[in-house]
Amino acid sequence: MPQPPRLNAVALISPQNHPILIRTFQKGDELKYHYVAHTSLDVIEERTSGKTKPTECYLGLLYVMDDVAAYGYITPLKVKIVIALALTDSVVRDADVVMIFKALHMAFYEAVSNPFLKLDGVSESTADYSPYQAVGSMKWKRLRQAVDEIHRALCAYAP
Amino acid sequence: MSLVALADPPAVYVDGAAMDCLVIEAVSALRASSAVAAARATKIELEMAQAGFVPPPPVAKLQHSSKDSVGSNTARPHSYVDEEDEGVRSRLEAIGLHVGANYAEKLCRDRPLFSDSLDAIKFICKELWVSCWDKQVDNLRTNHRGVFVLQDNTFKPLTRISSWEGRAETLKRAKLAAAFPAGIIRGALSRMGLHGTVTPEITAPPHCTFQIKLPKNT
Repeated sequence: MPQPPRLNAVALISPQNHPILIRTFQKGDELKYHYVAHTSLDVIEERTSGKTKPTECYLGLLYVMDDVAAYGYITPLKVKIVIALALTDSVVRDADVVMIFKALHMAFYEAVSNPFLKLDGVSESTADYSPYQAVGSMKWKRLRQAVDEIHRALCAYAP
Repeated sequence: MSLVALADPPAVYVDGAAMDCLVIEAVSALRASSAVAAARATKIELEMAQAGFVPPPPVAKLQHSSKDSVGSNTARPHSYVDEEDEGVRSRLEAIGLHVGANYAEKLCRDRPLFSDSLDAIKFICKELWVSCWDKQVDNLRTNHRGVFVLQDNTFKPLTRISSWEGRAETLKRAKLAAAFPAGIIRGALSRMGLHGTVTPEITAPPHCTFQIKLPKNT
């Protein structure tokens, strides 16, 4: 029976490379995963702006650092999702990782659709109207809770 | 909840007729709402003027002296509805922006990345159009330099619009009804990183064209 992949951290990054939410599931390691998210951005940039542009949203394994493996996903609307999985001996199947990403994308979609986000938006101009900043702020709990629920589901999930 | 259910949540259905009815009624509901807002703004302005904080408002505005030339008129995205409906139009478009932006996020969940702006426009013509208005765009034309014209011969929001007061009134109503779809399209485009203008043009309802102008270098 293979072990389910262990999720250490989740990072959501806006199309303009602003961090939306960085959620870690290990106490005291927040800074490390901020660093992981930053480094992943460079790899994502490299993969998506190269000569052969990828057509898949799932970018696969980005890199491995110490005991974590970073996986990347970019939605067609250019929101980047990075997850850090604990490096274990068990095989990590791409299908499982894609499912985690799909779940995260849905969680993000549902949180960002909140019509009340716009009310305290920074800029009123519609040209650069972006609720991305607001959705990850401390004031709105929805995204945080959804990400936590995915983490819980993954812990209980046996492929 | 299991991860599979989170990754692929069950679809939620809405009754089609009820949805149509709500979207149609939104125009008149917003008209009432914007009339109240406009009245409140004028009242406050009047009170301020009476108290002497601001100069009194000009009694009669100059009637479109600068808008007389046809050339400048067409370039302006906001000039396709006359002033009294402007408040309603901007509200409808703002709601459309929000709906379109987030709906695009949902629609593109299972699709590959967009390769260029034409790909994004095709997505709007096909997927967005089908899920919002039950059919695909009838005709798409482009000059390959950022201008796209989407033509729909029986645009669903306009099929039920008519007026006993004649053709001009019908056109006026149709233009308001097209503001919400225009907002949806602009919202979806803006989430894809294409910040352009969307101008609906209606000459004979339910025939409708949307002109999308994207800035250069996209």
